[in-house]
Amino acid sequence: MGHMYSSLLSDPNVTPDYKTGPTFDPLYGFPEGRKERVMLVTQEEMESVGLPVDKRDYCAHLAVKHRACREKVWPWAFKCGHERHEYLQCQHEDYVLRMKEYERERRLLERAKRKARKAAKEEMEE
Amino acid sequence: MARLVRLVDTSRRISGLPGVLISRSAGNWNKDWKPGPYPVNPEDRAAVARKYGLRPDEYKPIPDDGLGVGDYPDLPLVTAESRDPYYPWDHPEHRRDFMEPIHAEYDMYGLDRVNASQKLRFSVTQQFLAFMGVMTFFVGTYYLMESRKIHWPLLPKQYPGDGKVHYTFEKPE
Repeated sequence: MGHMYSSLLSDPNVTPDYKTGPTFDPLYGFPEGRKERVMLVTQEEMESVGLPVDKRDYCAHLAVKHRACREKVWPWAFKCGHERHEYLQCQHEDYVLRMKEYERERRLLERAKRKARKAAKEEMEE
Repeated sequence: MARLVRLVDTSRRISGLPGVLISRSAGNWNKDWKPGPYPVNPEDRAAVARKYGLRPDEYKPIPDDGLGVGDYPDLPLVTAESRDPYYPWDHPEHRRDFMEPIHAEYDMYGLDRVNASQKLRFSVTQQFLAFMGVMTFFVGTYYLMESRKIHWPLLPKQYPGDGKVHYTFEKPE
């Protein structure tokens, strides 16, 4: 069913908490491991361009680049369309990653519930 | 001066207005309109009753309890809204007759103010219960739904430097 129906009515206990991060081991179910996210810009660089704190994410290097470009060509900000598109594309991918993390958390919660039910059933049979 | 007086007199006669009708002098300034001291003996009471246009047996001063009302009469409270609207009042906008003594708190009981003899449409108990019912419904709904708020299917944004390692869903090289 839909997200709202299942998170509010049908099975709220397998709905991940949207306010906290993933509760399972991030490498669980990845035998070959996962690629780590890397920060491509330093704290000093972000501070020197005055990047707001909420924008100091994994796309900050593109934000810095975009800001620098705008500074250079101002007032012809349209010339930085390429940089802006790169930055927004990175933000979109970050959003998709958050959606994927949510779905992974939800499926793992469902799996844990299924396993617990199975264990309880076996215990009853013994 | 004589011409002026004559002019005023003539214009009054032409316009058909009666002259200013004075039955008693209320005074000239606010200190003159203040009530006098609380009357103690019967002679004082009779004089004060005449001052307020009441019969001596009608006159009853407001008890001297230190609130400073002096000799002002304790009149029955009949608020403007509970008076007959079809009676030919001298002042229909106030539903009051000329020279009618007015209540000490008259300014509170005009047509646009409080109606002291009003019958409530709903009793105070009913009003309280309705208020509590509505508040219980909304506050209760809030507390019941607090743990299951509507949200986008997203986990919080990942920021570097919060003490955790973040991963993509790709294989490492």
